[in-house]
Amino acid sequence: MPTLETVQLTRRYGEFTALRDISLRFTAGEIHGIAGENGAGKSTLMKVLSGVLPPSEGQLSLDGAALRLSGVRDALAHGIVMIHQELNLVDDLTVAENIALGFEPLQNGFLNRRQMAEEAEARLRQVGAKFSAATPVGSLSIAEKQLVEIAKALSRDAQVLIMDEPTAVLSQTETDALHGLVRELAASGKTVLYISHKLGDLVQTCDRISVLRDGEFVKTVLASETNPAQIAEMMVGRPLEDIYPPKQFSTETGAALEVSALGVPGRVHDVSFSARKGEVLGFGGLIGAGRTEMAEAIAGLRRRTGTVRATGKVAYVSEDRKGRGLVLDMTVTENITLASLAKFWLNQRQEAGTAAEWVEKMGIRAGNLNGAVRALSGGNQQKVAIAKWLETKPDVLILDEPTRGVDVGAKREIYRLIADLAAQGLTCIVISSEMPELIGLCHRVLILREGVVTGELSGAEITESEMMRLGLGIGTGGKG
Amino acid sequence: MKTGTKPDLRALIAGNGVLIAFVLMFIVSAAMQPGVFLRPENLRNLVNQNVPVGFLAIGMTLVIIAGGIDLAAGSLLALAAVLSMLALNHFVGLQQESLGILIAVGTGLAVGVLGGLLNGFIITKGKVTPFIATLCGLLAYRSTANGLTKASELRSLSPDVWPSFAKSGVPIPFLPAAGNQPFTITWPMILFFVVAGAFSVLLGRTKFGRHCIAVGSNEVAARYSGINTAQVRIATYALLGLCIGIAAVSQSSRFNSVSSAQMGQYYELDAIAAVVIGGARLSGGYGKIWSTVLGVLLLGIITNMLQTSGISDYWQGVVKGVIILLAVLVQRDKDTA
Repeated sequence: MPTLETVQLTRRYGEFTALRDISLRFTAGEIHGIAGENGAGKSTLMKVLSGVLPPSEGQLSLDGAALRLSGVRDALAHGIVMIHQELNLVDDLTVAENIALGFEPLQNGFLNRRQMAEEAEARLRQVGAKFSAATPVGSLSIAEKQLVEIAKALSRDAQVLIMDEPTAVLSQTETDALHGLVRELAASGKTVLYISHKLGDLVQTCDRISVLRDGEFVKTVLASETNPAQIAEMMVGRPLEDIYPPKQFSTETGAALEVSALGVPGRVHDVSFSARKGEVLGFGGLIGAGRTEMAEAIAGLRRRTGTVRATGKVAYVSEDRKGRGLVLDMTVTENITLASLAKFWLNQRQEAGTAAEWVEKMGIRAGNLNGAVRALSGGNQQKVAIAKWLETKPDVLILDEPTRGVDVGAKREIYRLIADLAAQGLTCIVISSEMPELIGLCHRVLILREGVVTGELSGAEITESEMMRLGLGIGTGGKG
Repeated sequence: MKTGTKPDLRALIAGNGVLIAFVLMFIVSAAMQPGVFLRPENLRNLVNQNVPVGFLAIGMTLVIIAGGIDLAAGSLLALAAVLSMLALNHFVGLQQESLGILIAVGTGLAVGVLGGLLNGFIITKGKVTPFIATLCGLLAYRSTANGLTKASELRSLSPDVWPSFAKSGVPIPFLPAAGNQPFTITWPMILFFVVAGAFSVLLGRTKFGRHCIAVGSNEVAARYSGINTAQVRIATYALLGLCIGIAAVSQSSRFNSVSSAQMGQYYELDAIAAVVIGGARLSGGYGKIWSTVLGVLLLGIITNMLQTSGISDYWQGVVKGVIILLAVLVQRDKDTA
C-alpha cells in the first residue's frame, strides 16, 4: 500500500521561495484535496511530486523510503501519475493509441495492435467509459478525454493519481460521474491527490483537505468536519465577508439588448430575450448547451440568423482566456488597449495612461505593465480581459465563465465589479456553469438546453434544483 | 526573477545577437582583407549588392510577424521585372521613352502589389496555409515570367535613362572616388533605408503594426478583439508585394536587362534567412525591421567574405548554413525565457 510523503519540502526559483517546509502525508485509499489560491504553491508541489522539478531542500518518501525522482518517467515507474488541467492527449490518435503512447506493446519489433486495443478496452470499461478504444481522441468531449487520461494512468499501474482541476470545465452531471469514479479508485487502494478551485467539490469528494497559502502549509482538515467557506477563509488568511455583493436594482427600464429568433446553425435555435439597462442576466445550462455559441453570435463573432438589436456596442469576454481572450505574449498595456486603438497612429503615452487607470480602478496586481500578460495570475489576467472590453465603452458586456480558474479572492473582486458595473447602468450577461454564481449575481437567469431556452427564473426562483431541472430537461419548463 | 548579473548579460547578448554578430563579422572581414574591405567603395558595393534581397527582407519581416511566410517573393520579382521591361521596350519602340519609364516603374510596382494581394487572398479567403499557397506562387509566377520571354534575356531599349536610377545617386564629395566618377550613394540604397524606416514606423507606431503583432501572436484572440485579421494579413502580403516591385525595378535598372529564369532566384530564402538572423520569431508575433536590415548586411558580409577567402563555391553553402544556424541558436533564449 503506497504512502507518499513530503518531508520538510522546500522549493525555490532563484531567490523566490515557492514552497517552504511542507510536510504532508498522502495515504493509500485516500482522496486528499489540495486547496490554495493561485500562487499558493499548489502547482509547484504537484511538479515536485510528479518528478518535473527536484526539491531544493527536504525530500519525498514512498512507503517510508526516500524517493529521488529523476523525471516524469521515473515518477511513472514508481506509480505516480499526474493528470494535467490541460489534458496531454494527442487529438489525431485513437483512444487506444493514446493510452499506449510511449509504452506501446511490441511483437517482433512491430506494434502489437491487438494487445493495445484489448488493454485499452479493459481500462475504458474500468473507468466506465461508453466509447470504443478505436475512437479518435479529437472527437471526444472534455469529460470523455478526462476518462481517457485516467484509463491511461491505470494502464500504467498508477498507485498515486494527481489530478489538477479535473472538473474545471465539466458540467454538474459530468462532475458527479467523475467523483464517483475517483471514489471507486480510492476504494481499490489508490491514492488520489485532488487539486481544485471548486471548494464545494473538494468538501464533497475528498477525505482530507490540506490548505496552502503563500507557499506555506496552513492546515489539514477532515472534509467531513469543514465547509467551503471555512476553507476559503484558510486560503485567504482572513475572514471572508459574504462573497457576493448585494444585488442592486436599477430604476432604468429601457432595454439595452433585444434578441429575437436568434439561431446558429446546428447549435442555437430560436432564442429570444431582452435585457434591461443595469440588469445582470444569467445564462445557465450544461456545457455544450450552446451558451457560448449564442453569446458569440450576439457579439457578431459567428454567422447567425434572427435579429440582435442593441443600444450600443456589445462586448464579449471569452471563456477561453488564454486562447481567445488575451494575446499572452503582448504586454498588459497592449492587451488593455488592443480593442480600442485610435485611428492610425499609436499614442504610447495615452495607452500607458489608459492601462494605468484600469489597473488602479480594477485592482489589477501586475508588477510591470510593460511585461507580458502571461506572467499574471489567472484572476489578474481575467481583469485585464474585462478591462480591454470596458475600454471600448460597451452598452452590453457578456462575460462567459468569468471566474474560471480564478482564485477565491479575485472571484470576489470580479463579482463586486459586475455588481458595480450594473449599478452604473451597464447590462451584464453572465454565462456560468457554477450555479452558486448565477444565484449570487443575477437578477434573472435563462436556462439553455441543446440550443433552446427551456426556462426563465427570476428572484427567489433561481435555485440550484430549478436550474438543474431545466438544464437537464426534466419535466416541462418554468415560465419562459 | 533576476539573480545576479550573469543571466542579464546573457539576455543582453540574446537581445542584440544580430548586432553583436554583425560587428564581429565586420571586424573579422576587415582583418581578413586589410586595406580592401574598409575602402568606402567596397562597403558601398556590399550594401548595393544586397539591396534587392534587402527590400524583400523588409516586407518579409512584416509578413512573418503577422504569422505568414512568402516563398513566392523571388518569382514574383522576376515576373514584375519582366512585365515592367516589356512595357518599357514597348513605349521606347514608339519613341516615347519618358512615358515608357513612368509606365515601366508603375507596372513593376503594380505587379508586385497585385501578386501580393493574390497571395493574401488565397491564404485568408481560400484558407490555404501560407507555405503551400506561396509554394504554388513560387512555381506559377516564375513560369509565367519564363513563358512571356521564352526564358530568354530581355535587353532594355533605353540605354541611358533606365539604368541611371541604379547607377546614379547622391555624390559624397569628400570620399575617394574610383576612376573619374564621383563616389555616390545610389538611389536604390537610399530608397532601401527610407523604406526600412517607413516600415519600422509602420510596425512600431501605428495601429496596423500593433494589429500585425497581435495577429501573428494569437490570431484567434486578435479576431475576438474585433480585429479584421484577414484584412491585416492581406495587407502584409500587399506591402511585401510593394517591396518586391521596388526590388524588381532596382534590379532591372542595375543590369539594364531582365533574365526571367535567373532574376530573383532564391531571393526569398535569403530574405527569410535575414529575417530569422535578425531575431524575428518564425511563428509570428515578434520581430524588428532594423534587426532584419542588420541580418541582410550580415549575410552580405558573409557572402563577400566567402568569395574573397578562396573557399570553393561548392562549400560556401555549408559555411553559410552553419552561420545562420548559429545566429538562431544564440538568439533562442528570449523565446524560452
